[in-house]
Amino acid sequence: MTPDTVVIGAGLAGLTCALRLTEGGCKVAVVAAGAGSLHLGGATIDILGYDPAVVTSPAAALGSFIRSHPGHPYMRVAPSLWAGALEWLRARCEPLQLTGSLDENLMLPTAAGALKPSALAPRSLAAGDLGSGGKLALVSFSALKDFYPRLAAANLNRAQPGPTERVEARAIDLHGTVAGEADPGTLRLARAFEEAAFRDEIVARLKGRIEPGERVGFPAVLGLHRSPEVVAELAERIGEAVFEIPTLPPSIPGMRLHALLNRALRKAGGRVVMGASVVSSASHNGRLEAVSTDTGSRRSSHGARDFVVATGGVSAGGVTLDSSWRFKESALDLPLAGVPPPGTERFCADVFGSHPVSRVGVAVDEEWRPLDADGRVVYNNVRVCGATLAGAEPHKEMSGNGISLVTGYAVADAILRS
Amino acid sequence: MKTIEAEVLVIGGGATGAGVLRDVCMRGYGGLLVERSDLATGTSGRFHGLLHSGGRYAVKDPSSAKECMDENRVLRRIAADCIEDTSGYFVTTEKDDPSYSDLFVDGCRRAGIPVEEISVSAALNAEPRLSPRISRVLQVPDAAIDAWKTVWGCVRSASDHGGRALPYHKVTGILREGDIVVGAVVEDRAGDEVRIRAGFTINASGAWAAQIAALAGCGGFTILPGRGIMIAMGHRLVDTVINRCQMPTDGDILVPIRTVSVIGTTDEEASDPDDLRILQDEVDRMLADGETLVPGFRQVRALRVWAGVRPLFKDEKAESSSTREVSRSHRLLDHHDRDGVEGFITITGGKFTTFRRMAQDSVDIMGAQLKDERACHTHEEALPDSEERTYYKLGSRLAAREERLHDEQIICECELIGRRALENAMQRRGSSDLDDIRRTLRLGMGPCQGGFCIYRSAGILHSLQRIDAASATASLRDFLQERWKGLHPILYGDGLRQARLDDWIFQGLLNVEQLQS
Ligand SMILES: Cc1cc2nc3c(=O)[nH]c(=O)nc-3n(C[C@H](O)[C@H](O)[C@H](O)COP(=O)(O)OP(=O)(O)OC[C@H]3O[C@@H](n4cnc5c(N)ncnc54)[C@H](O)[C@@H]3O)c2cc1C
Ligand SMILES: Cc1cc2nc3c(=O)[nH]c(=O)nc-3n(C[C@H](O)[C@H](O)[C@H](O)COP(=O)(O)OP(=O)(O)OC[C@H]3O[C@@H](n4cnc5c(N)ncnc54)[C@H](O)[C@@H]3O)c2cc1C
Repeated sequence: MTPDTVVIGAGLAGLTCALRLTEGGCKVAVVAAGAGSLHLGGATIDILGYDPAVVTSPAAALGSFIRSHPGHPYMRVAPSLWAGALEWLRARCEPLQLTGSLDENLMLPTAAGALKPSALAPRSLAAGDLGSGGKLALVSFSALKDFYPRLAAANLNRAQPGPTERVEARAIDLHGTVAGEADPGTLRLARAFEEAAFRDEIVARLKGRIEPGERVGFPAVLGLHRSPEVVAELAERIGEAVFEIPTLPPSIPGMRLHALLNRALRKAGGRVVMGASVVSSASHNGRLEAVSTDTGSRRSSHGARDFVVATGGVSAGGVTLDSSWRFKESALDLPLAGVPPPGTERFCADVFGSHPVSRVGVAVDEEWRPLDADGRVVYNNVRVCGATLAGAEPHKEMSGNGISLVTGYAVADAILRS
Repeated sequence: MKTIEAEVLVIGGGATGAGVLRDVCMRGYGGLLVERSDLATGTSGRFHGLLHSGGRYAVKDPSSAKECMDENRVLRRIAADCIEDTSGYFVTTEKDDPSYSDLFVDGCRRAGIPVEEISVSAALNAEPRLSPRISRVLQVPDAAIDAWKTVWGCVRSASDHGGRALPYHKVTGILREGDIVVGAVVEDRAGDEVRIRAGFTINASGAWAAQIAALAGCGGFTILPGRGIMIAMGHRLVDTVINRCQMPTDGDILVPIRTVSVIGTTDEEASDPDDLRILQDEVDRMLADGETLVPGFRQVRALRVWAGVRPLFKDEKAESSSTREVSRSHRLLDHHDRDGVEGFITITGGKFTTFRRMAQDSVDIMGAQLKDERACHTHEEALPDSEERTYYKLGSRLAAREERLHDEQIICECELIGRRALENAMQRRGSSDLDDIRRTLRLGMGPCQGGFCIYRSAGILHSLQRIDAASATASLRDFLQERWKGLHPILYGDGLRQARLDDWIFQGLLNVEQLQS
């Protein structure tokens, strides 16, 4: 059965686009090399955090941000789509209780003790919001090497831009092995938290150590797929609010979000082929006819009426650079915009600086179709969304998942309209 | 101003200075070494890692060749734990003049370097990634040597004999009383001045030796800094040191070091020994040269690039201006004879391979000046950890790790560093600088380039209560900035992908960019 649309990439952008298309009545197949960035980064939907000063309200800041960033993916998003995209995701991820809005950024504590602006986050993370300060007890396990509550607490106690009221944080270390393991890792811990006996032990060890009015922060390992129950139970038994802070990758909250979207897509009738890299394509008269995937053992061809490129940025392998300094869009070899000319700097000397290569990606027209250097549409039936798009510097703007969500949503919208 | 007394003051904490410190202490003097930065952060921490057999100099500089081979034998005896016995091939590629290899064999024989011809097919069997287009292979006893282990080993040995090293003590002035040098003024890490009164001062500051000598009022020579770059490639492409069999030139040596392979090097005349810039064109040339030795080299991930400066002594008689032509043998300047200044000598030039010999020669001259000649024993006694005389073997960390796989956290997966080793190093170094810890343990030097282990290390450093959160955060950020220098010129392929992942970790997940240090 030939699908109407083939979506390349199974990250937030690809899954959003595919699910929305399926809901709109399209037959969709997703082909993807891997699970994408959600498994690494996390489940906060950061729309705009810095411009370059910290943004308190994305809704208020977006207008001038877009005006001062021509070529940014947000430029192509119709104003009417923003709120719809967020509400759509909220409804699809109901168990996570996505909290927040475009109007005001949450200020969420990180594992280093910085604050990070996010528009929308699963309730278990959003409950750590420090926009109006508060008292926190950060609990961790000395056996978990990917989260250091003492450092986080001490940094949170130092003055930082953001909170309007004082932050008072302290750390509680739970020493010893976890389930007999000296080096358990986040996934192992998340599974342990799904066992009643383990939760009993944690509650018992925290007894008498939490002060009234303190919110209790854990590394983001409170259950994998049963996390809402785990968090609710812990909060009730501890008697104070409980929240999670993202750890080093892998990201348990990201896995939860990814699994929900994946399940919804399959349930709605979408097909997902994982472990399949797009390695070549066939086109005719300005239309893409088919892409070929390679799974290592087998090559297959996937034809469709429409194609969506949602292959992510450099960190996901969607855009590559070889040792002769040639950039390439990895699936369809689409033209790339923002490539620093030969002989000019690709990076600046400051590691946290604004690097010329950051904005490399595919430029698109108002229908999200890829453009070449002269501004001509390359394929009429290909659309691009997510981190593959040119013009953003998402880790500086704090707009990674925001771009992927709203552009994935907008591309589905464009296909459904056509 | 604080004053410290020492019998002998050694300036410079590279291999030469550390070797001199050990030598003076083993001869029964009270030695004190000062280094402006951490130990082995000058040329000795930025070299190619090759324990020369002397083959490289066999045709062009026979006396250097012989000296290398002699010292190669000594170091294998006293510093086995610092050495991986890789052996070395000199291979004739399609780009090399085939007649050089006969000259090479002759040169090796004259210099006492054991050389053996092996068949191309045997060489390709042993090193399957080596270019099949080679026509001749000659084997010599090259090896890989670990700079940090060696330098720290010398300093530990010296402290067993009563010596002491002070990293982060920069010489800002030399104390003179009339025609006698009586010590130096140094600036410590906090910026405070310390006066060191010494009976004798040995200037072992490598490429900086002329600067230090000038502080003592001794001039008349220059050091031409010859800057060279090296690139560490993501894994072991070869297990044997591979040299091109030709007159020494750029990009003609590939050294397997621990889990990586290092290609090098270039030679650009620099005006300042602290000029460690890396040019795009040099990187491109190195990658192309790698391709000649190992086809597919450009597809391999590059991990890190760095530059070092050769301390090449400018001989008045040298006619050529090319730095490669200046002799690589070491120079010992007796400032009593040259400048009429007593209590002060300078040792510079040479090679890492010959550092012990350079130290011995220096201390002999000191003894002659002091009319107190004592015998050298540095070639007889093994360095700490090398007493067993077993070479370092790739995989020894893994083997040790496997024995206690389930009872300890592993903090740096790339270099297999456990939590205890990390905490011990932090306590022992007493330093809050994660870059110092990196040099001690190779922390963060593998493929992820600190992406995972540096946040962990900052958290552990802070939890040991050595430093406050602001300093731990500053140390984390400094580490990333320092690492970035050696990363951005070679970011392509998976290296770039990793760097972008690391950007997301530090600037997204952790958002450390926003933390005030
Ligand atoms: C460690 C980390 C921390 C992060 N922190 C934040 C944060 O705090 N805030 C924030 O907003 N964002 C953050 N991000 C960024 C955010 O996760 C991404 O920008 C966003 O999720 C990208 O989604 P995407 O769907 O566009 O691409 P991805 O999720 O990267 O998905 C790309 C998909 O394309 C597939 N693919 C690539 N090439 C091919 C090919 N040739 N053939 C077939 N399939 C292919 C991949 O396998 C994958 O399925 C973080 C990312 C990481 C890695
Ligand atoms: C690119 C390159 C590759 C090389 N490869 C090899 C190789 O493979 N094998 C080999 O045997 N040799 C090699 N060499 C040569 C070898 O590295 C050097 O000869 C050797 O390391 C020099 O050691 P050193 O102790 O004399 O100098 P250094 O290691 O430079 O030590 C001098 C020290 O003095 C310190 N100093 C400077 N000013 C002051 C001050 N004011 N106060 C206090 N301290 C000060 C510096 O910080 C420095 O640490 C290579 C050299 C280069 C440049």
